[in-house]
Amino acid sequence: MEPTRETLSAFIDGELPPGEMEQIALLLAKRPDLDAWVRQQEALRAGIKKSLSDLVAGPPPEKLMRSIESAPVSWRWRLRHAWQQPLLRTWMPAGATLALGLLIGIGLSPPGDIASRGGQVMAQGALASALNSKLASERGAGSGPRIGITFRDRDGHYCRTFDTGAESGFACHEERGWGIAMLAARPNAEAQGPYRMVGSEMPDVVRSAIAARIQGEPFDMKAEKSARDRDWR
Amino acid sequence: MAKAADDIRDQMVQLLPRLRRFATGLTGSVASGDDLVQDTVERALRNLHQWEPGTRLDSWMFRIAKNRFLDIRRSQKRSGIVAGDIPDDAPAVTTDGVRGTEAHLMLSGAVQALDGLPPEQREALLLVAVEGLSYRDAADILEIPIGTLTSRIARAREALAPWAPEG
Repeated sequence: MEPTRETLSAFIDGELPPGEMEQIALLLAKRPDLDAWVRQQEALRAGIKKSLSDLVAGPPPEKLMRSIESAPVSWRWRLRHAWQQPLLRTWMPAGATLALGLLIGIGLSPPGDIASRGGQVMAQGALASALNSKLASERGAGSGPRIGITFRDRDGHYCRTFDTGAESGFACHEERGWGIAMLAARPNAEAQGPYRMVGSEMPDVVRSAIAARIQGEPFDMKAEKSARDRDWR
Repeated sequence: MAKAADDIRDQMVQLLPRLRRFATGLTGSVASGDDLVQDTVERALRNLHQWEPGTRLDSWMFRIAKNRFLDIRRSQKRSGIVAGDIPDDAPAVTTDGVRGTEAHLMLSGAVQALDGLPPEQREALLLVAVEGLSYRDAADILEIPIGTLTSRIARAREALAPWAPEG
């Protein structure tokens, strides 16, 4: 049997099945030429590893350390972590409009479709546009945030759930626009791809917040369209 | 909250020696390698939500470094900084075929010869032979089938054979 270079290479890395590892070891004992090649390659591997390790031995450059210490951390990651904190999980289902102070308090800078106005977190851009005009039945149409259910809260405001792909939550219509009442990072949003959430995939924390705030039943398609056509007033 | 972020930063500091070694091997110089690591770290922190908790942080960062290296290389090639590229199926490096830019003078022997390998072979060999990753983990990082990885490593070894010490 003449082993291929790939087989010998995998032997060096210990990546052959156990039986084959033994066969190659036996073969090398009889074939000095192959044995020499393997030994040379093992020495080469050790040499490369040592040379590269020596090159980067010692403390990392200060610039690199400063970068690790100060580079901004993903706000989505921090949001996800913040939601795992007992304080927020308890607080948020109470249902008040999310305050900018809260985002800042947990070290977050708001995402692009969400901005602070008058101390409260409001939808803007594509999210505001979707909340204003998109119907739940249009979930498959085009790109951008998707709308889930529409309902009235206990204060009589229209509220709508949304999904941006990375976050989901709901916003309630106020005089100044759509105030974000709940915002939750979606676990594994990237793995699922954007805009794929259906109602049943809504994070529990969002569901709980809606349950605490909803008055009556979610709107059917007709009621949803009618409220939209009246500009949510 | 701040503690969670600090924990991640600490884990990245722990990974620095391996990331720097990998990046030095990839780029062919310590300085370029450190630039690549800095870029990698900044991107990793900025996109930390894409890292799946419970999976290996080192593998994820190796993948970012590899992708950034290829991006930078493509961009340099477009702007003419890299005169040419070596295709994946290129024949073995010739003993006098190592590109001799100033940065490479810092390296010697087999390590310098690494730089003459096609990037695809170089990254495969570095992950397995230097970083000690299994074929499965390395193939995942490089987003290639194990068979392709096995083949790239074998070709890299053949190419580097002239630099191997006499047995």
